[in-house]
Order: sequence, then structure tokens, then C-alpha cells
Amino acid sequence: MSSPTQYQVPDGLLYTREHEWALVTGGTAKVGITDYAAKTLNDIVYLTLPSVGQDVKQLASFGTVESIKAVSELYSPFSGKVTATNQRLLEHPELINKSPYGEGWIVELDASKLDDERKTLMSPKQYRDFLATLEAGH
Amino acid sequence: MPTTKELKRTPLYDFHRKHGKMVEFAGYEMPIWYTSTLEEHMAVRNHAGIFDVSHMGRVEVTGPGAGAFVEMLVPTSITKHPDGKSVYTLLLNSRAGIIDDLIVLKMAQDRYHLVINAASRSKDLKHMEENGGGPRFTMTDVTEATTMIAVQGPSAIGSLQPLTPLPLAEMKRFTHSTSTVKGIRTVITRTGYTGEDGFELIVFDAGSGAMVIWEALARSATPCALGARDSLRLEAGLPLYGSDMDEDTNPLEADLGWVVSKDKQSYIGSQPLASIAAQGPRRIRRGIVMDDKIPRRDFKVTSANGAEIGVITSGTFSPVLKHGIAMGYVKTPAPQLGEEVEVVVRDAPSTGRISKFPFYDDSVYGWKRKQHQQ
Repeated sequence: MSSPTQYQVPDGLLYTREHEWALVTGGTAKVGITDYAAKTLNDIVYLTLPSVGQDVKQLASFGTVESIKAVSELYSPFSGKVTATNQRLLEHPELINKSPYGEGWIVELDASKLDDERKTLMSPKQYRDFLATLEAGH
Repeated sequence: MPTTKELKRTPLYDFHRKHGKMVEFAGYEMPIWYTSTLEEHMAVRNHAGIFDVSHMGRVEVTGPGAGAFVEMLVPTSITKHPDGKSVYTLLLNSRAGIIDDLIVLKMAQDRYHLVINAASRSKDLKHMEENGGGPRFTMTDVTEATTMIAVQGPSAIGSLQPLTPLPLAEMKRFTHSTSTVKGIRTVITRTGYTGEDGFELIVFDAGSGAMVIWEALARSATPCALGARDSLRLEAGLPLYGSDMDEDTNPLEADLGWVVSKDKQSYIGSQPLASIAAQGPRRIRRGIVMDDKIPRRDFKVTSANGAEIGVITSGTFSPVLKHGIAMGYVKTPAPQLGEEVEVVVRDAPSTGRISKFPFYDDSVYGWKRKQHQQ
């Protein structure tokens, strides 16, 4: 079975238990799914994105990411308003598999409760430890 | 939930463990993919793929009473065929409900080889034992003594022919022959579960000989796992027992009326089946192709005006069509081919249309495609 060190967990990001990442710059958060989530789904073939301008709540679903076999909900790391969605993913959902932290970013948000909510997210080290507990469960 | 130690393993386990992502399936530890379901799926459609299907049950029925026994179990004529015929058929219960779907190989008048679903193996055997009643035949479960490998795709012959003296191109579909593969006794049947041309090998070796065959095939065909097996069969319109039919489904509802031989009178379930045929089924299995979204099992199907007419039993994303596809059951009278329906996807209706099986253009993909085999 694979070890947690097989999954990329970049520094400088915040993580959720549902395997989303957030890159915070000022009051904006760029959001995607982690390498672990992308590898677990494997071939991502379809996704549904929220609309620009849509309000999202922390940990509420804002879309889905699907493989041939499975549907995975996307949960927002922050409350706020969607300011951008990665439209390239509609034609090329496989970008999430190829580059989950780069070209495979999914949405950008104006985070309305940034300082409070960031405390509830995991640091890279906490997320790596979290992945280790999931792997140990196998 | 069994631990991995309690799960069964096929003779090819070491390869799967080394190269695949492992999951539990029908009590076996099996791979769901090696590289990706998408890649494996398209390898079969474009070239050739190999599948370890050893987890499926294999039962031999032999003896002077074997033919009569097998005829009683299924609605399809078996014994009238010449030796070497492979027949897709159904095990029915006394209500004409489907216990399993299977392939029966008529090897000789007194010798039949049944290939049954892995998850149904013990209940099928129990059903057969309970309905046997005669000393004139013997049933032998040869599952553990054999390995079964499927070779599927337009290049299946190219992949398999170097390993066997049997002239594969001369074999008709739905026939079988006993020969050798890499020198090991193998029953080769020109059947499959992908919609493509191909062969299924019942290898009489459950050890290193089977692995030699697998590894030789893997040099020219792509190893494919459970994920691709499911997406391929769905794209081909083939039902999956347990998902698209169960013991409360009769053959007519399942759109498998062609399996019921008109000249057969007595077999288990024949009476209730005759009543159902007289009245017509109240629901029927149909295919749906989506404009957008991916339909999944248990999603509701409505007519274009929103009235509920059915439910999805299997859904996926079709790598060939690049759209969501599904099969499910709709009330009769069923919507026509091409007619618009809605599938409720996460509380919102999404448009689709009734589709033929297979979902793909069969002049381009599948065993009927218009090109020479490689």
C-alpha cells in the first residue's frame, strides 16, 4: 500500500479534512483538491463548478468532481463569494490529475471570514499527519 | 468487512498487487485499475486488453443426464446445438426471476462448462444442487483449479494467436474449442463482456503456468482491471447482474427476451414466464445518453414533462461518447429511441435521450466495426 509521502502536500497552503487546499493571498483564497484526492479518484472526467458571484459557506458543497466510477463533492475551505472558476477544467478535467496544485486549481474566492476560519483548517504538517492516519486505517 | 488476509486471491494476484490499485470484489482482492480506467478502457476499444476474470465461477456438469439437467435450469435451448457452442443464458427461479446470468459451453452431449458470476457462485451452486435430483450427472466446481483470462479488442487475435495453435480467425463468435496456450490445456471461447471481438481463456492451471500466459499476453495487450471492465460493458449495453437485474427481475423486463427459446416448454420458471410474456412486462431496461451530467445508480428518470417513469440502475461516463450514459428501467409503454427524458441529478433534472445498445457507433467500435482485424 502507498505511504503518505507518496502524496504531494506543498507548504504554504491550508487543508481541509475533505482534501481541499487553499492558497491565501490577502483576502482571496485559491482552492483546489489535493494530490491525495486526485489520486484516489484517479481519472477525473467531469466536474460541476459554481457560478461566479455565488456565495459559499465554509465546508458546504460548491460543486462536484467525478471519475468514471465515483462522484466526489467539493467542500469550500472558506465562506465567501466566488470570484473566478477555472473554465479550462470543463474541457480538460484531467488537469486536476496532472497538476492538482497548479493548473488544476478550481475556484477563487473573496473570503469573508478569513481570520476566524483559517484557524479551523489544517497546516501542511497536520494534513500530512491526517493522511498517515487514513493510510494506517487500510 | 473481511480483512485483506481473509480475502481470496486469484492465481495472478502477485501481478495485481505489484501493478494495480487493490480493492475488495466478491470476496476477492482484485485490482480496480493499473494505470487508469480511462486508459485501460480505450486500450480495449483501440487495440487489446487483458482481464483476470478468475474470480468468476466455473462449474462442469458431466454424465448422461447432464444435458437434461442443464436444459431444465435455463430458458435457452442448449443441447440441440453442436459441440463447441457457447450460449449466453440465465438461471431462473420458480417465479421466472433471474438468479444469475451465465455462459454455458456445450463441450459434448454429456459435458457442459458453466461460467457464472463471482458474487453469485455459492447461490448458483446451491440452486443447482437443490434442483439436481439425479444420479446421472456430476457437478464439479473447477473454479480454484483453473485461471480465466479475457483478451478483448480489435487486436485480440494478434495478441493471442502467437501463443496458441488454434486458428482463432476461423472461430465463430459464441463458439469454443479446447486447445493449448503456451502449451497449457485451455478452453478458448470467442465471447466477452466488452462489446469488442475477443476471447476468454479457461486455463487448466492455477499456478505459475497461468502467470506465464498472463505475462506473455501483457507484452502485446494492456492489463485492464475492474474499473474498465465495468465502463466497457456499460458502453456496450451489457447488463451487470446485481446492478441491472436481480431475483425480482424477469428476462423480458431485462430486455433479454431473445434469450428465451420459443421452442422450449419446460424449465424452471417457464410457466410464470409464459404469463408475463402474454401480458407484457410492466417495466423495461433501456439506455439513456445525457446531454450533460453523469447519471448514477438510483437517480430517478422522468419524462420530459417531469412525471416519474423510472430509475437508473447503472451509470457512468462514456470515454468514447464523452457523455454520461446509463441503463435503467422505465415503465411500459416505454419512451421511444431518441425520445427525451430527464434524469434527476442532485435534485435538478438533466436532459437525456433514450439510446440504443451499444451506445457507440458499432461501425466504428465493437466487434461489428468496419475494418480489418490486426
